[in-house]
Amino acid sequence: MEWQALYLSLRLSFWTTLILLAAGLPAAHWLTFSPRRWKFLVEAIVALPLVLPPTVLGFYILLAIGPHSPAGRLYAALTGGMLPFSFQGLLVASVLYSLPFAVQPFASGFAAVDRKLIEASWCLGVSRAATFFRVIVPLAVPSIVTGMILSFAHTLGEFGVVLMVGGNLAGITRTVSISIYDDVQALDYRAAMHTSLLLLGISFLVLAATYGLRRRVWAVWPPYGQ
Amino acid sequence: MDNELRVDVRKRHAGGPEIAAALRLPLGTHSVTVLFGPSGAGKTTVLRLIAGLDTPDSGSIRCGDEVWYDGARRKHVPPQSRRVGYLSQDYAIFPHLTVRGNVAYGAHGWDVRGLLARFDLSDLADRHPRQLSGGQLQRVALARALAAHPRLLLLDEPLSALDAPTRLRLRADLRQLLSGVQMPAIVVTHDRTEALALGDSIAIMIDGKLRQAGAVGSVFDCPADADVAAAVGVETICPAHVISRSAGLVTVEIADARLVAVDIGDPSPEVFACIRAESVTIERNSSGNPSSARNHLPARIVSVIPEGPLARVALDCGFRLTAIVTRQSEEEMQLREGDQVTAVVKATSIRIVPRG
Repeated sequence: MEWQALYLSLRLSFWTTLILLAAGLPAAHWLTFSPRRWKFLVEAIVALPLVLPPTVLGFYILLAIGPHSPAGRLYAALTGGMLPFSFQGLLVASVLYSLPFAVQPFASGFAAVDRKLIEASWCLGVSRAATFFRVIVPLAVPSIVTGMILSFAHTLGEFGVVLMVGGNLAGITRTVSISIYDDVQALDYRAAMHTSLLLLGISFLVLAATYGLRRRVWAVWPPYGQ
Repeated sequence: MDNELRVDVRKRHAGGPEIAAALRLPLGTHSVTVLFGPSGAGKTTVLRLIAGLDTPDSGSIRCGDEVWYDGARRKHVPPQSRRVGYLSQDYAIFPHLTVRGNVAYGAHGWDVRGLLARFDLSDLADRHPRQLSGGQLQRVALARALAAHPRLLLLDEPLSALDAPTRLRLRADLRQLLSGVQMPAIVVTHDRTEALALGDSIAIMIDGKLRQAGAVGSVFDCPADADVAAAVGVETICPAHVISRSAGLVTVEIADARLVAVDIGDPSPEVFACIRAESVTIERNSSGNPSSARNHLPARIVSVIPEGPLARVALDCGFRLTAIVTRQSEEEMQLREGDQVTAVVKATSIRIVPRG
């Protein structure tokens, strides 16, 4: 049983979700409310990880954060370290890979907020930014929770991108899905089964808790079924 | 110091009429101005332009000495800085906040508790909006708007979200609330009874243009043209030809009938004669007694349609004339379809407006 890998996966999922919450809310706000004509291009870019093979995405991320890339050089200058095959590099990749799983539910939640409520807030003298936090976010909580859970679960289960960007370094980049792959390669089916079962259990619990919680949230407002 | 709201804007919506509205509203008084017109005339758009929720294509909006919009200088003050209390049709109460939370939402040091008490909401302060009736939601919306210290209230069809009996009851309440808040207000409505009940002055809007403005009574009694007459609900509007003018009276011909009306001084020979149904009297037989009314027209009853305590009688006098009588008179006179009667209209009750 790979407790170290499981802990690493949970840690990665937690930070990925947190970063996506911080970055996804403004991104989704821009995508929902911007009058720019070319925003469909940004929408397409955000949705790319849904269709790209993880290997392709992982390959480009590897190039982008490599020691010879501008991002890699900047990171090296700031921290002295390197992004590829490190936890931080894995985090960057995870955030990009799970971006649509956060941004799309956020944006659809924002779009469902009645425009009249937003305008009412403006007319009451409340700024656009404050309106976002006082009206739009509270009314989109179910969608925001959904986006966070999806990001968390998606990161927990990612495999291809991790392999491309992180490699397989115990305690640094060996996530739980990779440890299962390793076990199977080593014909250690018993360990693979244990870890798989644990991951299955955790995933199910997270999703069950979410849907149960979401039902309660929805039951308060808006009317159930809407 | 001109303490008034001056709007002179143009705006074209895709698929709608071009809106061209020039409007002046004194801010010092606490009068209610009704923006009245048929659905789709652009009333809501004008309200949204004043609130800053939409931007005009050109023109200007000034409030006192502040410029809210200036097309030439590309200046647009956002709604947050205009301090306008805007109530949309369905009140837009925040569903995730309690009544108190809603009223306190935009409040700046205003006594929320006092406002709740004033609008009879103290007992409902901890309720959520979905537990409230339409009338209570309206009070929350008004209290919430006032808490943000507006200098002007804009109400878009404030009674249209309510069912019919509630609407009747709340019309009187709303009038009282509006006169109680001591603030100039613009109320949009397409309902004549609402306009009469709520407004001190009225502006008639048809097809995106402001056509006539003035005191409610004078606009309803003296429409400036046939479209305004139709909008304010004048039942009979007939094209007529002027035959003669003398001593402040004008004689016009409609089909074969001749009518005498008060001359408004417009020289055009082709006019419309506008006659309100309630100023048409029906007589059984011309009794021969002298009458002060100038116009006695032989007429045939086309139909009698009961409307609550009244009955609407359609008459054929060579042209179609509508009269309204009480059910009581209708029964006493036994008015039946096809009967020959006399329609009596005073010269002062016929409004002549220019045609073309």
